[in-house]
Amino acid sequence: MLLVPCPHCGPMNAGDLTYNGESHRRPDPKTCTPKEWRTYLYLRENPSGWLLENWYCSSGCRKHFKIERHTLTGELRAPVLPGRKPGATQGDMK
Amino acid sequence: MVEITHLDSMPKASVRAADGTAAAAALGLNFGSSERRGDTLVVRIRPDEWYLLGDGAPAMAASLDLSGFASMVDTSHSRTAVRVTGDRAADTLAKLGSADFGDHMTPNRAALGNGIAGVTCDIVRDDQSGVRSYLLLLDGSFVTYFLGALHDAASEF
Amino acid sequence: MSYRLPAPLGNAIDRSSAISFTWNGKKLKGFEGDTIASALLANGEHILGRSMKYHRPRGVLTADFWDPNTTVQVDDEPNVRASHRKLADGMAVSAQNVWPSLKFDVKAANGLVGRFLTAGFYYKTFMKPAKLWPTYEHVLAKFAPGGAVDLNTPHGRYDKRYAHPDVVVAGGGPSGMAAALAAAEAGSSVMLVEHEHQLGGHLLWGSDDDQVAATELAASCEAAGVEILSNSTVAGRYEDNWISISQRNHPGVIERLIKARAKTLVVAAGTIERPYVFQGNDLPGVMTSGGAQRLIRMYGVKPGTRAVVFTANESGDSAVEALQSAGISIARVVDARSGEGITSASGSKSRVKRVTLSDGATVDCDLLVTAVGWTTPTSLLNMAGDRPVYDADAARFFPAGPPDNVLATGGMVGDGSRNELIAHGRATGELAAGRAVVVRHRIQAATARATPVDGQEPDYPADERTPLDRARHPEVYRSTTHGIVDYSEDVSSKDLFSAAGEGFDSVELIKRFTTATMGPSQGKLETVNTVAMLAEARNETIAEVGTTMWRPPYAPISLGALAGRINEPTRVSVLQSWHEANGATPILAGQWVRPEHYGDPAAEVLNTRTNVGIIDVTPLGKLDLQGPDVPKLLSLLYTNKWMALPIGGVRYGLMCAEDGVVLDDGVTARLDEEHYLMTTTSSGAAKIWHWIEMWLQTEHPDWQVHVTPVTTGLTSINIAGPNSRELLGRLTDDIDLDPDAFPYMNVRRGTIAGVENCIAWRIGFTGELSYEIHVPSGHAVHVWGQLLEQGADLGVKAFGLEAQRIMRLEKGHFIVGQDTDGLSKAPVTGLNPLLKLDKDDWAGMPEVAWTIESGDHPVIVACQPDNGSVVPEEAAQILRAGTTEIVGRITSSRMSPTLNRSICLAQVTKEFATPGTSLEVLLVSGERITATVQEHHAHFDPEGARLRG
Repeated sequence: MLLVPCPHCGPMNAGDLTYNGESHRRPDPKTCTPKEWRTYLYLRENPSGWLLENWYCSSGCRKHFKIERHTLTGELRAPVLPGRKPGATQGDMK
Repeated sequence: MVEITHLDSMPKASVRAADGTAAAAALGLNFGSSERRGDTLVVRIRPDEWYLLGDGAPAMAASLDLSGFASMVDTSHSRTAVRVTGDRAADTLAKLGSADFGDHMTPNRAALGNGIAGVTCDIVRDDQSGVRSYLLLLDGSFVTYFLGALHDAASEF
Repeated sequence: MSYRLPAPLGNAIDRSSAISFTWNGKKLKGFEGDTIASALLANGEHILGRSMKYHRPRGVLTADFWDPNTTVQVDDEPNVRASHRKLADGMAVSAQNVWPSLKFDVKAANGLVGRFLTAGFYYKTFMKPAKLWPTYEHVLAKFAPGGAVDLNTPHGRYDKRYAHPDVVVAGGGPSGMAAALAAAEAGSSVMLVEHEHQLGGHLLWGSDDDQVAATELAASCEAAGVEILSNSTVAGRYEDNWISISQRNHPGVIERLIKARAKTLVVAAGTIERPYVFQGNDLPGVMTSGGAQRLIRMYGVKPGTRAVVFTANESGDSAVEALQSAGISIARVVDARSGEGITSASGSKSRVKRVTLSDGATVDCDLLVTAVGWTTPTSLLNMAGDRPVYDADAARFFPAGPPDNVLATGGMVGDGSRNELIAHGRATGELAAGRAVVVRHRIQAATARATPVDGQEPDYPADERTPLDRARHPEVYRSTTHGIVDYSEDVSSKDLFSAAGEGFDSVELIKRFTTATMGPSQGKLETVNTVAMLAEARNETIAEVGTTMWRPPYAPISLGALAGRINEPTRVSVLQSWHEANGATPILAGQWVRPEHYGDPAAEVLNTRTNVGIIDVTPLGKLDLQGPDVPKLLSLLYTNKWMALPIGGVRYGLMCAEDGVVLDDGVTARLDEEHYLMTTTSSGAAKIWHWIEMWLQTEHPDWQVHVTPVTTGLTSINIAGPNSRELLGRLTDDIDLDPDAFPYMNVRRGTIAGVENCIAWRIGFTGELSYEIHVPSGHAVHVWGQLLEQGADLGVKAFGLEAQRIMRLEKGHFIVGQDTDGLSKAPVTGLNPLLKLDKDDWAGMPEVAWTIESGDHPVIVACQPDNGSVVPEEAAQILRAGTTEIVGRITSSRMSPTLNRSICLAQVTKEFATPGTSLEVLLVSGERITATVQEHHAHFDPEGARLRG
């Protein structure tokens, strides 16, 4: 099970978080076309490589956050936080 | 030996306060830590949420300046408290929850959220006279089930 | 005759403690420390089972966990590994996969027609015609291997535990013990996991010095505080060293699953001895050199009387010494290193009797010991991403290089003397501990609650271990004859050659087609031989063929262990004990245990409609919303408008998901300037809370709203019926219940039965005049009691969930998830006036707009069967008359006590939604009935006069 670095709680078991999938932009509901809206609803890039995704720390701090995950290697890049050393990646947690 | 106590009537309040508000400044603490102030245990359980626990909680809550983006909810009736005390208390929790309750990761006064026996709990390490002790806060409707699960897990110790 | 050897042989058994057991009903004796198999062999019982397909007699091959054909039934437990399970007093052990008996098995006739049972036989033979499959299945079932499952076996107790060690060491041989000891001495918390019952690995069946060293190392580990898990298996390694451990010796439970997050994993799984492939290699009396030594030195059992030893390595040489020490005569040592070989073994039905050598000579014997090389069980390294590489000079695979947090040691990476193996293990343990320190430092530094770490992060230790040498070993896989490759699946080398010839010529394909490596040994004995056979068939090298991916679990794990302790949380309101004491029939609704009724739901309906009823509706989701931006949030979540709700007002709202499908519904009240109370469906409470947090945090982080769940904190009681105003009036002084002062869809706060801070609102799920009160839960029992006491003369009675469901159906209120489903977009509900497309934004708005525009959606209608005594089943299909075309379904149906007839809600296509339309409903019985679409959703009081009064 992946160890996911919650920006508040620190490394958390993925199973203790809620995975909300690939990060995507919500189109303007007033002006969007059906194609744009349904792309937002259903279509995902699913790249082989780095992917920006949404997580929710549902059992910990209850905060939503984004993280980059490499879909082939499982490597994670932690979001850089104020007051913390930049460049710390999840790879370093292992 | 593990002692499990249901602290049914402990007064509790939840204070939500954004950075920069008077309430946040007054309550202080780092996220994930707690402190005894008189007969109130103050817990910064989330980055923007504090629990006030114990007999002093109502008075402390009433005294807070809730100006700005800050609010308070009396959770005395929503949530209940269960205390797990004893040398094997961490081992008991380790049978039911995935977090590391050991001294490095959860020293005395640390606070965290974790699912225990399938129930979302807020947990405060709150040693009693030097004996390892964890205060578990959970939705009160689970408590009958929850005490059963805890006693079952603790039965081997 | 007894095959038990005198002490000091038998270091695992305690001769002072005799154990009685039965074998196929026969009373036998063994010793404490015996495995079932060693005890049976000591009693001269050397056939332990029959093989899976050919029903050939089989005995002990390896005398350890992986022994492929010694699976037995113990009492009511099937599929017990006789060469691993320790003997216990009173065990009733019997052979499996035999009929009618072990010694005379009619299915052994399979052996005669063996050519029909080659790989793919079942696929090919029983494929067609498909209609005959049930017949085939019936016959084949009798040939299925495995023990008997007793359906009356009590539910076993299993357990689970999480752990967060610095270092997990998989394997308790010399290298593993040394690694664990070194890591513990360096300050790490260490779990040492050993598959077998004792620490020691191959030292346990080695020389006297080896055995002493094993004991000393094990004692040192214990003294150093290593957590020793024997008879336990590291079953899997997953991302970031998430380790699953199956523990089989924890007191009080059958098996326990440990989920460990290790900072470093040390894999010291040793090597597993490969069987040799030749004709007759599965005869009882043929065994590996390790098997023979384990029987003699650990269990004090004589595996035969006259032996031939075929050896290609030191293990064979050491087996010769062991056999001699047991007084077994050595008929011949055949040394592969000097070019000698064996071609076949033959014997009676039950035992090897003669071995034919490569030069044609024959030697009589009753024991053939082979020592032809090793398999490196790289499973855990594979799971960490390592791809093993074959070394032809050493005739085995080696790890290519696992990730930094996984370290291999011992026989997996090379060969050496005991001291060399220990030295490598120690170096590995020190490295593992050093790396764990760094990982722990990083995790603690990144975790707010953790003990602060001092100073700089330590340097990440580089791997500077002196590698172990690799001993040269001849490649000895198969003789000139064919034999069994997979003993548990009965796959021969001939099967593999013919499968390769049929085109199943990749190692992953041949495995699946022949099932080689797929049995209970999980490839530990068979994989490399399978690869070697395929290489031979393809005329390539083993390195070119490569190996299969070893996946979890390392060894089979019971489903009970995976399920673990059964924790299914349930919730109750504080009134539950009253409900139970007053005859409530409980029903589990989501996680909530609720009263379904108190004996007669129809009477509860009539009393509520006539007098007054009270129901505990605490599970109703309740969220406390505070902040200046609550109206914006409500406008976003609900389909209707919320910007102008006055203080004291209550409004109904419908929520959609972003695809326009109905997500939840409920009422929200404005209690104060910036303070609201939202209700959700009981099952939707947690979902909607997280849904709100998602919107607030990701789309509108600038909005100031605090959300707090208060479902349990407020016990909710609905007081419904014509007398409800009178009843509530008796309990409150500070809430003015006059209909003009407190009209329908309004909320007031006040004191009820002396309890302050109660909330009361007028809503109407039952269709009656009703007040829903929300009482701080600590006082709810008192308030409930007062309602019953004060309302006795008003006819007050409690009603349950079923009565409420009937009354809401009488009123035509749909239930989200019952009358709607995962495809029901908001217009299906018919609540189109609430779907405000002129708002800027709300969740799901575009889809709802397009659905309305297209008009292409079913709708919810009320309908009544023309025969009012028939209640169509919920989910009964509605068909176009006289056809099988489905045009809708009944979503809710009940007998209405108020109307004394059956009533329904249904979803139908628009064509069938017009009031007065006749619907044809197909009952489960096959009968078709007619029902008529009603003008209103409400079957009763459609104008709502009662609830607004």
